[in-house]
Amino acid sequence: MLNYVWISLLLIGIFTAVGRDINDEVTNTYRNGVPVTAQFETLKQRTSVRPAYNGEIILSAASFNQFYNTSAAQLQQSEIRQTAILTTLTSGKQKLEIPISDATPAFWKEMAEAAGGKDKLEADVISFDNGKKEIIFTMERVTFVKIKAVTKAAIEYSNTAVTISLSLIGVMALWLGIMKVGEAAGLLELLTKVVAPVTRRLFPDVPPNHPAVGAMIMNIAANMFGLNNAATPMGLKAMEELNKLNPKAGTATNAMCTFLVINTSGLTLIPATVIAIRAGLGSADPGIIIGTSIFGAACATTAGLIAVKILQRLPRYKKELIVEDENAEVKNG
Amino acid sequence: MVEIFRSVINIISALAIPIFIVVFLGWGLVKKVKVYEVFVEGAKDGFNTAVRIIPFLVAMLFAIGIFRASGAMDVVVAVLSPVTNLIGMPAEVLPLGLLRPLSGSGSMGLMTELMTTNGVDSFIGVLASTMFGSSETTFYILAVYFGSVGIKTTRHALPAGLIADFFGMLGAVFIVRVLFGV
Repeated sequence: MLNYVWISLLLIGIFTAVGRDINDEVTNTYRNGVPVTAQFETLKQRTSVRPAYNGEIILSAASFNQFYNTSAAQLQQSEIRQTAILTTLTSGKQKLEIPISDATPAFWKEMAEAAGGKDKLEADVISFDNGKKEIIFTMERVTFVKIKAVTKAAIEYSNTAVTISLSLIGVMALWLGIMKVGEAAGLLELLTKVVAPVTRRLFPDVPPNHPAVGAMIMNIAANMFGLNNAATPMGLKAMEELNKLNPKAGTATNAMCTFLVINTSGLTLIPATVIAIRAGLGSADPGIIIGTSIFGAACATTAGLIAVKILQRLPRYKKELIVEDENAEVKNG
Repeated sequence: MVEIFRSVINIISALAIPIFIVVFLGWGLVKKVKVYEVFVEGAKDGFNTAVRIIPFLVAMLFAIGIFRASGAMDVVVAVLSPVTNLIGMPAEVLPLGLLRPLSGSGSMGLMTELMTTNGVDSFIGVLASTMFGSSETTFYILAVYFGSVGIKTTRHALPAGLIADFFGMLGAVFIVRVLFGV
């Protein structure tokens, strides 16, 4: 199933991006080549041979929204005052440079992003009348916004994946070291004996005194107390131990799937991150969601465990566990 | 009652790791294990495990990245919202439910945004934080855990994980409706 979900994410993503870009091109969402008329208030003459000014483009929100066909909700201000720099080239043509700041309308920010992730937008000035303070300009062309975003995301997320993996090295080493001591001292074995009645039912394929059981229990406990730094290394240690019982390398066993589902259901006694964010946003009672979160996660865990036990009986998943006899293949080949 | 529960859990969370280290290493000392040597021996695997995860995580995250950047989420939301309206899930939180298994940081941003626009203690604010708190980033866990032991055929782990996520969301909607319902 992972195969299909993975390729669907990719294909749906890329086709949607292409579709949206074609739609943008047809309806000219970014008004490429259409001139904008606005007020331009010069604030300061720049020291230059040819006329150049620091100034502000003034445009009412209503005409901005009408021009770009955007909704009023996207703009906070009723009047846009955007700093801009007007320069005159040797050819006599005038250029407008619009630096992107926090006050810049979201739509222009989006356009600047699409124009190459720069921190400014450029525009060709068609006419500028300093007396009437009136300016007419066309913004630089913005095309293939979504396709560019998709390309950028593909590269950025690949880098993120490596960063995340590498940032695990330290905590992994720490916890694997401590676990190894616990294992050598027989502490893991002791732990497995205590929880054997539960684990025997959950993981019937794992011998009750196997080190995998100890690691799994510690991972689940760490998750419960919200110790994410400790939970992942312990979980990976458990996977390593479970893999020692795996007759077919590269294929998940029933025990692994069960363990994974317990982890993805995210049963936590204190969802610390959420509480912190709620407190930060000024909630009257940040911890109000503790009970509801435990309820939600308990629903998820129960449903997940039932699902995993039913699914593992399906022929299509059972079939994948069968170890092919390699010797037989060699003889036939 | 909730207060006591919270402070007990907080104390346990704060003390857990130091106690854990003392108990494990102390026990090793009692059992005459060469603690330092064994620790280093175990820690050696940390690097390999982390590096082994890289290809799996790259495969998973770049696909998720493309999906998110394309804006395909809006399309999926439009298709699914009539169905989720039937079960009483507000349309606003549907994107969060869909993004939660895919991206931890992405869904955290979405949750924060929902709470900012609708009010932290509003029905939607509480529902959004419950949905976030009662689930995990299924695809990330799948990539990391299976990746660490080189598992490529994941069998029924993903469908079971997604079923769990789905029921977690249902449970969150149900309990928040009952307790804080409008």
